[in-house]
Amino acid sequence: MPTETPPAQFLGDPRPAVPPPLDRARELGIHQVLDIEGRPRGDLPDPDLPPATLHRMYRTMVLVRAIDERGWRLQRSGRMEFWIPSRGQEAAHVGSAMAMDADDWIFLADREPGAMLLRGASLQSLFAQFFGRAGEPLKGRRLPLLLGDRALNIVPCMTQVGAYIPHAAGAAWAAKLRGDGTRFIVYFGDGATSRGEFHSAMNFAGIHRPPIIFFCQNNGWAVSTPTDRQTASASFAEKGEAYAVDNLRVDGNDPLAVYAVTRQARERAGERGASLIEAVTYRLGFHTSSDNPDLYRLPAEVAAWERWDPIPRLRRYLEDKGLWSPADEEELVAQCQAEIEGAVAAAEAMPPPEPGGQFDDVLAAPTWRLEEQRARLLADLDGGG
Amino acid sequence: MTVLEALNAAMAHEMARDDRVVILGEDVGTAGGIFRVTQGLQQRFGPKRVIDTPLDEKGIAAHAVGMALYGLKPIAEIQFSGFIHDAFEQLMFGASKYRWATGGQYSVPMVVRAPSFGGIKGGFWHSQSPEAYYVHGGGMKIVAPSTPRDAYGLLLAAIRDPDPTLVLEPVPLYRALRDEVADDGTALPIGEACLVREGADVTVVTYGPLRHDVVAVADEMAAARGIEVEVIDLRSLMPFDVDGIVGSVRRTGRLVVVHEAPLSLGFGAELAATVQQVAFGYLHCPIERVAGHDLPYGFAGGDEYYRPNRARIGAAITRAVEFSF
Ligand SMILES: Cc1ncc(C[n+]2csc(CCOP(=O)(O)OP(=O)(O)O)c2C)c(N)n1
Repeated sequence: MPTETPPAQFLGDPRPAVPPPLDRARELGIHQVLDIEGRPRGDLPDPDLPPATLHRMYRTMVLVRAIDERGWRLQRSGRMEFWIPSRGQEAAHVGSAMAMDADDWIFLADREPGAMLLRGASLQSLFAQFFGRAGEPLKGRRLPLLLGDRALNIVPCMTQVGAYIPHAAGAAWAAKLRGDGTRFIVYFGDGATSRGEFHSAMNFAGIHRPPIIFFCQNNGWAVSTPTDRQTASASFAEKGEAYAVDNLRVDGNDPLAVYAVTRQARERAGERGASLIEAVTYRLGFHTSSDNPDLYRLPAEVAAWERWDPIPRLRRYLEDKGLWSPADEEELVAQCQAEIEGAVAAAEAMPPPEPGGQFDDVLAAPTWRLEEQRARLLADLDGGG
Repeated sequence: MTVLEALNAAMAHEMARDDRVVILGEDVGTAGGIFRVTQGLQQRFGPKRVIDTPLDEKGIAAHAVGMALYGLKPIAEIQFSGFIHDAFEQLMFGASKYRWATGGQYSVPMVVRAPSFGGIKGGFWHSQSPEAYYVHGGGMKIVAPSTPRDAYGLLLAAIRDPDPTLVLEPVPLYRALRDEVADDGTALPIGEACLVREGADVTVVTYGPLRHDVVAVADEMAAARGIEVEVIDLRSLMPFDVDGIVGSVRRTGRLVVVHEAPLSLGFGAELAATVQQVAFGYLHCPIERVAGHDLPYGFAGGDEYYRPNRARIGAAITRAVEFSF
């Protein structure tokens, strides 16, 4: 790792940048299919996915990256209020979401827009959510990237980091009690494992064995807190040991490995119950559009992780297999741009929520008090009376 | 039936009728709960429907949220409401927010049963009235029955309600009262107060176990001094029966609110503010509030001097009746 003078604003620990654990994947017990060049030389066998599946995986990852870049620019230019980057984490969430069946339930965190795309959400509905438009499934009530849609069996994140992990586990437990075959996956970050609810969910899961995958995206940071300030454990996966929950570490920037281990955990869920998967990945972008990572992390660390960028890695794998060409790449990039521009224009033109609409859905039927407050607000906005 | 038997009967009735109803909590299964409210239910419905959980209030509440999201109707027992605080975030930002936060797509039809209130020489943690915390966020209903019949009807209503409902159970009354209760599956509507006693001179609004102390004071005042006190038991706090209260205050012109929770920002503050807004011209005196003090509930002396007692209730009624400008 090159040593480097920190940026002028740097306020972090005076220590060398931490090299990516993926550089020592075998030693650290991080499962891989692909090496850094995208060659199938890891400890796991190549799952040999059919070409159509591989294309879908790659196209989704590229589209997620393009959405992230477009959203970031929209936020920076003032057209969008807020942005939560997913850059670098495309393989972790696309690989795992693809390993689930179409009827399985997904509980999202906030860096997994690809899960929505895989389930068929339109780009326009995604951008409508980012712009806070009334016509998106959550009625414009949630911050950009807090995505979900019941029609897709995707439950949106409840914002309290980690607090929703047992909601997913409780739903999975309910499915098991009902004798349904539905399986569940819940996404959260490394920071979330410090919350009590993570431990509640793991503890209950060890006892009651709900069919769920606890999918921890260890992206190196929780805002400005590095993983070694989040836990002194050698890994996040090993926290499963204390609760008798199957656990493993996987290279989160290797979509084939993520797919393979998630699929396996899914298949065993009926009999074994829960699994904890730690996907070792990296947040290449800012925490959010309100963040400034130059205060706390070194550019050399980011540069070292750029070498593990999951998109070129999968592309090389596809090229080696003769499944992808520079012409395909050019066409895909152009197609993503065109579709995104169309979606941005259409979504931006949609109307924002009406002020009275916020009183809906507090309860199944509004109380007299809510109706009174709605009427008062509308009358006051109308000039009083 | 006692209050305890009525609660048990309501759960048994609904579990027999609707196989989506499950119970979870600490010691609720084999032992039937530390108060025995769920006694016999695991034996009758099996361990998949009456589930003993780890000792983890937030875990109990949070897993119940998930079960409800999937379509079950979980009843989560918190062993004592003094321990509900660990589940606060789960109830206020999980259970009671999903409907709104998902644009109406998901709902959380769960019940939280929380043995509450003082009067059992329980000291601070076993004598809690946590209702005010839960009225503040929206998205959750709150009921507080204080007779066997109300306990039966309101718990049934809570289980059937499409939204999360907190049931504050009157611990000191669990075995203290007996009532004829028809176990016929009839729920009481949430949001309706009960006019317990009619009277023309002053309205007292209360809820929870103190209802019985208020009635005793009212009877004494009628006998000794000819003061006719109207007593309203709110039964539901969220939503509360504004028409019932305001209608009574318009007749009597005087309002006293009695509850066990601390005075400052207690439920009485909301009632007082609402009544002065809509019945300002009818009031003959300031609204009196008799409440717990803004301090912890002591083991010795708490039941007598923290919790509103009959002397304090009587004194407040007298102040209201004798007030002159
Ligand atoms: C309970 C809670 N505390 C603090 C926050 C503010 N916050 C938002 S994201 C975040 C860091 C989360 O880190 P991690 O779980 O590792 O996920 P990541 O953002 O890295 O994907 C924090 C502290 C929050 N949303 N919820």
